[in-house]
Order: sequence, then C-alpha cells, then structure tokens
Amino acid sequence: MENQSGSCQLRLEGEMTIFTAADIRERLFAPLPHCQQMDVDLSQVSELDSAGLQLMVLAKREATAMGKDIRFAGHSPAVLDVLEICGLTGYFGDPVVMAKGD
Amino acid sequence: MAKSILIVDDSVTLRQVVSIALKGAGYDVIEACDGKDALGKLNGQKIHLIVSDVNMPNMDGITFVQEAKKLPAYKFTPVIMLTTEAGEDKKSAGQAAGAKAWVVKPFKPEQMLTAVSKLILP
Amino acid sequence: MNLDNALQTFFVESHELLQAMEDALLDIEHSDDPVESVNAIFRAAHTIKGSAGLFGLDGIVAFTHVMESVLDKVRGNDLAIDDGMVALLLSCGDHIKVLLNSLVDGQEQSDPAVFAEGAVLIERLSKYLGASENQIEPATLPQQHETRVEAMGGGFVETDNWHISLHFGRSVLRNGMDPLSFLRYLGTMGRIVGISTLLDAIPPAAEMDHESCYLSFEINFQSDADKAAIEGAFEFVRDDCVIHILPPRSRIADFLELIQNLPEEDMRLGDMLVRCGTLTQKELEEALALQSAGASGNAPESGEEPKRPIGEIVVEAGMVQAPVVEAALEKQKHIKEAKGQENRVIRVDAEKLDNLINLVGELVIAGASASLLSHRSVDVPLQEATSNISRLVEEIRDSALQLRMVQIGETFRRFNRVVRDVSRELGKDIELLISGAETELDKTVVEKIGDPLMHLVRNAMDHGIESAELRQSRGKPAKGTLRLNAYHESGSIVIEVGDDGGGLNRERILKKAIDKGLVSPTQNLSDQEIYMLIFEAGFSTAEQVSNLSGRGVGMDVVRRNIEALRGTCELDSQEGQGSTVRIRLPLTLAIIDGFQIGVGSASYVVPLDMVKECLELSSEERQKAKDHHYINLRGEVLPFVRLRERFSEKGQAGPRENVVVVQYGGQKAGLVVDELMGELQAVIKPLGCLFGNLKGVSGSTILGNGEVALILDVPSLIQQAVNADTQMALSQA
Repeated sequence: MENQSGSCQLRLEGEMTIFTAADIRERLFAPLPHCQQMDVDLSQVSELDSAGLQLMVLAKREATAMGKDIRFAGHSPAVLDVLEICGLTGYFGDPVVMAKGD
Repeated sequence: MAKSILIVDDSVTLRQVVSIALKGAGYDVIEACDGKDALGKLNGQKIHLIVSDVNMPNMDGITFVQEAKKLPAYKFTPVIMLTTEAGEDKKSAGQAAGAKAWVVKPFKPEQMLTAVSKLILP
Repeated sequence: MNLDNALQTFFVESHELLQAMEDALLDIEHSDDPVESVNAIFRAAHTIKGSAGLFGLDGIVAFTHVMESVLDKVRGNDLAIDDGMVALLLSCGDHIKVLLNSLVDGQEQSDPAVFAEGAVLIERLSKYLGASENQIEPATLPQQHETRVEAMGGGFVETDNWHISLHFGRSVLRNGMDPLSFLRYLGTMGRIVGISTLLDAIPPAAEMDHESCYLSFEINFQSDADKAAIEGAFEFVRDDCVIHILPPRSRIADFLELIQNLPEEDMRLGDMLVRCGTLTQKELEEALALQSAGASGNAPESGEEPKRPIGEIVVEAGMVQAPVVEAALEKQKHIKEAKGQENRVIRVDAEKLDNLINLVGELVIAGASASLLSHRSVDVPLQEATSNISRLVEEIRDSALQLRMVQIGETFRRFNRVVRDVSRELGKDIELLISGAETELDKTVVEKIGDPLMHLVRNAMDHGIESAELRQSRGKPAKGTLRLNAYHESGSIVIEVGDDGGGLNRERILKKAIDKGLVSPTQNLSDQEIYMLIFEAGFSTAEQVSNLSGRGVGMDVVRRNIEALRGTCELDSQEGQGSTVRIRLPLTLAIIDGFQIGVGSASYVVPLDMVKECLELSSEERQKAKDHHYINLRGEVLPFVRLRERFSEKGQAGPRENVVVVQYGGQKAGLVVDELMGELQAVIKPLGCLFGNLKGVSGSTILGNGEVALILDVPSLIQQAVNADTQMALSQA
C-alpha cells in the first residue's frame, strides 16, 4: 500500500453507498496521515450514492487542508454518472476518462 | 444489472399486475405474500426498493418494515407503503417505521411506476 | 402492458375472497375469534377494491369503498356487527359477484337493474356511516407565499427555464432517499441545463456523520412539465427538504427572496445561480442592488429574516403563471395530471397511426358491404354475426380516432410566448387567458389550426386591443386581455379568440366595403354580415399599416384555411368592449357518422350530427313549395334547397319527397330529397383538385355496395338556402 515516495494506493470496490459508508470512510481516512499522496482507484466501484460522494468530497477537502494530495482515478461508469449528474466532473481536479459508448 | 424490487402484498392480483408493470419497465421483481414471507426472502441479497402493503395476514406491513430495517443489508433500503385514503394513522405509523414514500390504494399500474421511478430508475 | 392474464387472476382471487367473506359472515356469531373474522371480511373488501383499481374498474372500487369504510368502523370497534349488518354484507358480497360476472361476460356497463341494486345497497351501508363520515379532504395545497414586497419591482429574468433549489435535510439518506434519485427522475421530465452542487454544508471530518446528507443543489431545468408535475417529483422528500421552484421568467425580486431565504451566504448562492445558468451576471447584480436598496430602507428585515419552515415546498408564482380564477383551477388540475402522466405515454409514429386509421376506414367500408349482403340473405345467424361485427367495427373506429385526439392546450400554451413578445413589440400590456385547454380534437386538425390562430391572435393584439392611454380614457383597465377558449359543441370543436379591445367599427367597415366595391351602397346588411366582410379578400381596416398584420391579406386567408378544414368562422363584436372570433371545426377529418339520402339514382351523405329531423313533404306543402323556397315547420319558416335541382339530377321527383332538416351554427334549413336511406359510417375521401371548387360538397365516401356517394357541405347549403330565401323575400317585397 505504501511505497518509498510516501504515496499510497487504494482501490475501492463494489458499492460506495450509505450501506458501506462506514467502511469506505475508514479505508479512505486511515492511510491519510501516513502518506503524502494517495491514489484512489475507482474502476471497480459498482454504485455511488450521495453518501459516497460526500465522502469523496470530504477526503479531498481534508487532504488538501493537511497539505496532502488525493487523486481519484479510473472512474467507473457508475462514478462518472454521478459526477456528471451533479456537475462535479471538474471538481476533484482529476483527469477523467470518458468511456465511449458505454 | 437490473434493480431489484421486493413487492409484499397479500393480493395475488396486485402482485401480478405490479410485477408486470415493473418488469416491463426493466426492474427485477421479487414477490412475497405477507410480512413473514417477505422477511424469509430477505437473505442478504441486494434489494433496491421495498413496496409493501400495510394490512396483511400473519405479519402486517409496519411490523415487517421495522424488522427489515433491523437487518444491516436493508437498514437504508427505501420503502414505499401502500396506504388507503382512510388510513392516515397507518401512514404516520409507516413513516415512523421508516417508510417515507407511499402510494394510495387503489392505484393504477402507471401510478406505481411513477412512484417507483422517483426513487430508483431501472 | 397486457393485463389479460392478471384480470383472470383477479376474477379467481375475488371469488375466493368473496367466499371467505361469506364463510366469515355466516360464522361470526359462533366464532371463537370474532376479531379475526372481521379482519377477514375487511380484507376481502379492501383487496377487491385495490385490485379493481388496478384495472380501472371504477364501479367496483366505488362500491367496495363504502363497504370498506363500514368494516373499518367495525374493526375499530366504532360499530357493532349485528344480524342486520351480516345480512346486508352478504347481499353486498352477492352484488360484487354480479358485478364481476358481468365483467366476465364482457359487459363493462352493468344493466340499470344491477346499478339500481348497487345504489340501494350503498344507501343502506351509508346509514352505518352516519353523518360524521365526511370524505377526508385531500392534503391541502402547498401554501402560496404571499409576503412579496410589491415595491421591490425589478425586471424579469431572461431564462425560459425553471429554477429548482433543493436543500436536502440531514435525514434523507437514512430514510432511503438518495438526492441523486430525484435528480435522475427530473431528467426524465426534462433537461437539467445547469446544476450547481453545494458542498459547503459538509462539516469537518470530526463532525461529519457519514449517514447524514449535507448536499444542496441549484438547478436550471428546462421542461414542458408544469409546476405540479415538478413538485410531484419531490413528493417523498418534501417533509425533509427545503424546496423552491421558480417558474420560467420569474421576477428578479423572486430570486432575491430565494437567495435571502437560504442559509448559504448570499454572494456564494448568487454565484451558484449564475453558474447553473439561471441568472446572468447582470441579473444577479440587479438582484443584489435591489437587496441593498431594500436593506437600507428597512434594516431589521435583512440579516435575521425568519427561515421558512422545513417541509414546505415554496412555489413562487411568477407573473407568467399568474393566479387563475377558481373555476379554471379545477379544470387545469386535470391538464396538470394529464401532463404529469406524459412520461408514460408511448410515442407512435404519426404515419403508423394514419395508416391504422386508413385501414379502419377500409374496414368500415368492407363491414358495410358485408352487412348489406347479410341483410339480403335470410340467414338470421349470419345477420346476427354481421351486426356484432358492425358494432365492434364502430367501437374500433371510435378508439382509433381517439388515438389521434390531442388536447388543444399545447397549441394554446405556445401563445403565452407570442403574446408576451408581440405585446412588447407593440408597447402594450396584454394578458392571455386560456380556458378549455383540455378540449380534444384530431391531431391533423391541430396541426393546421396553428397558423390561422396565430393570425387572429396577432390581429387582436394589433388592431383589437387599444393602447394603454386610449383604454384608460375609455375607462378600461390599462392592461388588455386576450382570451383563447375551446369547447365541444354538437360534433364540432369551437375555438374562440377574444379581446377586450375597441371592437369593430361598423360604419368604417361598411364604408370601406362600399369603396372597395365589395357591397353595393343600397344593400341592407345586418351587423353580423358587415363584420363578416373583414374576412373578404383584400380587406383591411387598419388606418395605419403595421409591421404585424393589417396588410389586407390575412383574415381572408384565415377564413380559407378554416374552410379547408371543413370549418367556419363567426365574429361577434361590441363596439368599445371587444370582439370574439369563433372558429367551428369538425372533430375529425377522417370518418363520420353519416345519414344517407337518395335523390334520383344518386346517394348523398349528410353528417349525422347536423341532422335535426326528417319529415315527409306533404302534397299540400309540395304545391306551395313550387313557388317559394320555404315551408312551414310547426309555425317556423324553414328555407330549403331541392337537391334534385341543386345537383341537376335528371328525371322527375318521385311521388314522395322528404325533407331533412339540418342545423349548423345556429341556422336551420331543409334539404328536399327523394329517399331517406338511414345511418351509416362514412369514410371521408377528399375530392380531387378538379372538384375543389365545387360548392355544396365537402368530400366523397364509398358505400357498402361499392358506389360513391358525395358528402354534402351542410354549412354552405344552409347559407345558400337562407340567402335564396331572403332574396326571394326581398324581390317580393
């Protein structure tokens, strides 16, 4: 999870919803004090709801406040859909790959 | 992956019609004939929405919703209660149990479809 | 959605429930568990009611509803069940069985005896309910917010879109309601043009509860749906949310109110409204300028303004959607409901529909020929079979035509924009009142009515409604009113375009008509006839030719367009009070119920709804009628036309002649014919362009025997008869 350069990798899978919010929160925030940069892979996220979205926003905000960097990558269609609906595609400042025809 | 809806009502006609309407719109439907039967069918699989009647034999809808909400997998599952226009007290009891949406009986299949799509789209 | 199988299930289940109810009723006195028996009886009525509702079986729903109400009282120990009630409930069960059986037999409408029996049972049941059982009023309408500061004034925002402001309560997620679902549902009703998601309310990690919702949205929403439908989207969260819905073109002051009422910092929220495209930067500045002006005026009002209670959906009524009179409200509700259902409507290619109607037309003709043949035979079962088929064909025809019926409301509503734009262009303040929007007519007619209506509306705004100064000097409100109204009247749809302007100037029209040589100075014309002159080609009364209309083309084009649709125009005018143009159109252009008549060897068809009565022309009247063109109809003068002469039919009239009395637009005339041949369904085939100018004939149809019959243009024939009669009277005078 953690490598020499102080960056952590995290892969979230399955639901990011109110049902799993406690677990997701733990997984997002536990490594944060230990690394300078965190890369979160969202490619295996099957479902995202408002609770999940709020956690993404919170993580981004807290990391920035701590002078750290959190990057979301590999946005799955479920994630892209939510960002699109909320007009937040640009909010996290991450490159987003739009799947064609998916 | 179609979204799953559990429909709980003691009337086989109602279940059949609602089922036809929901399946036609692209949802998966699981049927149960009363609260007890429905609880038995909640074995941890993902259910996106529960539609439940209030007045049923064996276990009524309010008790069922209270019980279902105790299970972690269904703690936050949205519930549509089927109420009657006379049953205002039942509606508030349902709301207290965690069923915040309702459809008043008698309804047309299309009305059910509209109510469902406000909470989840297929 | 095919519910045939489900309907079978319904019959089976209902019979089972009725049996269970009967058992419980018979058993209740000796039962160990009377509560359970009562529950079983209640459940039977309740379930049958619910299931019947699914199929729209309103009769059964209404009946079981009363039963359910009585049983609910028994269940709640407000009523004791006695022998009388047991007997009554048993009869009720029997009655439901009868209702169900008549459904199985395919009789949707039960016969009067059954209906009467139901009414008696309901009355007996109602006695148990007593006077206290008043219908529970439906939930009260969302309160209109009335505390608008009128002096604030300010302009209107430019956008044609709705603005929806959604501030979700903390508990919605825990209740299973995901704000995203409602956004997705909105997407099915229109297009989210712009959205700003407000994340500021998410507290620092230490205080944040991941099961609480902190999200708010400002949405720029483009949709044809109305307020009620948009409000309906949030029906299930309204108790947990603050929702503001601002209609298109709301006042800037309304947005200011919105900004002030929300917890976010004003500037921040203002930015959000700009970002989602609802307000332009300029409009925001205007709003904030208004705010500071207001704040300096009454300081305590800013800052600590009481927040709106949570759970109230505040719908700000923009000027565009000004409050409507009470009577209109009820009507509009139906349209709203209909509009709310739009998403369930299947879109069908119009061509497919036309194709179906054509086929139904062929079916009608083929059916007529089959029934003709069967009547010639002596085969009674065959005759019965064909008469059954005829009845079904008729129903199919009606349903097929119904498919093409659309409400005129859509067409009317487009004029909101027209009236707004044109009144600005003209510098007049004009309000549009729409009524009868739910009136239905054939889609093909709707498509063709837009242009003539547009011209009439513009004409009324340009020439009809006076300038504000003139209106005030005439003691009228400065704001002019334009009315669009529609209703059905004896097989026609009537569309009215009315204004409260100056009305037509009789003298000026007459003078102009004489100048133009349209009428001779000696002609004696009624007011009505003079007004109708403006529909003549090359007529214009505007002293000043404006940019919009008044070029002298137009009103005659309007009339020709309407006539091409087999319709007519009328004009009412009251000098100083306004005028109303009344357009009368057939409901459909495809198939009509007709009345077949014979003259010599030819057959003609008259639209049945215009036929008033038929009578034999007595030999005495025939003698008299040789000299003049009217007969005495029960003391009334009835002008007539001899179709034999009118259509130059060869040969002499038979020994007997009949008069078909036809009526249209308040006028009556007689058509003298040889033979009355009875009713038929006529599939209208347009006449080729060769016959386009033929007066008195509006189309043709094919009869069951394969022959062609002409469809008579009754309005023009009536006109002819009336004119001939007046001229005759004049020449004799």
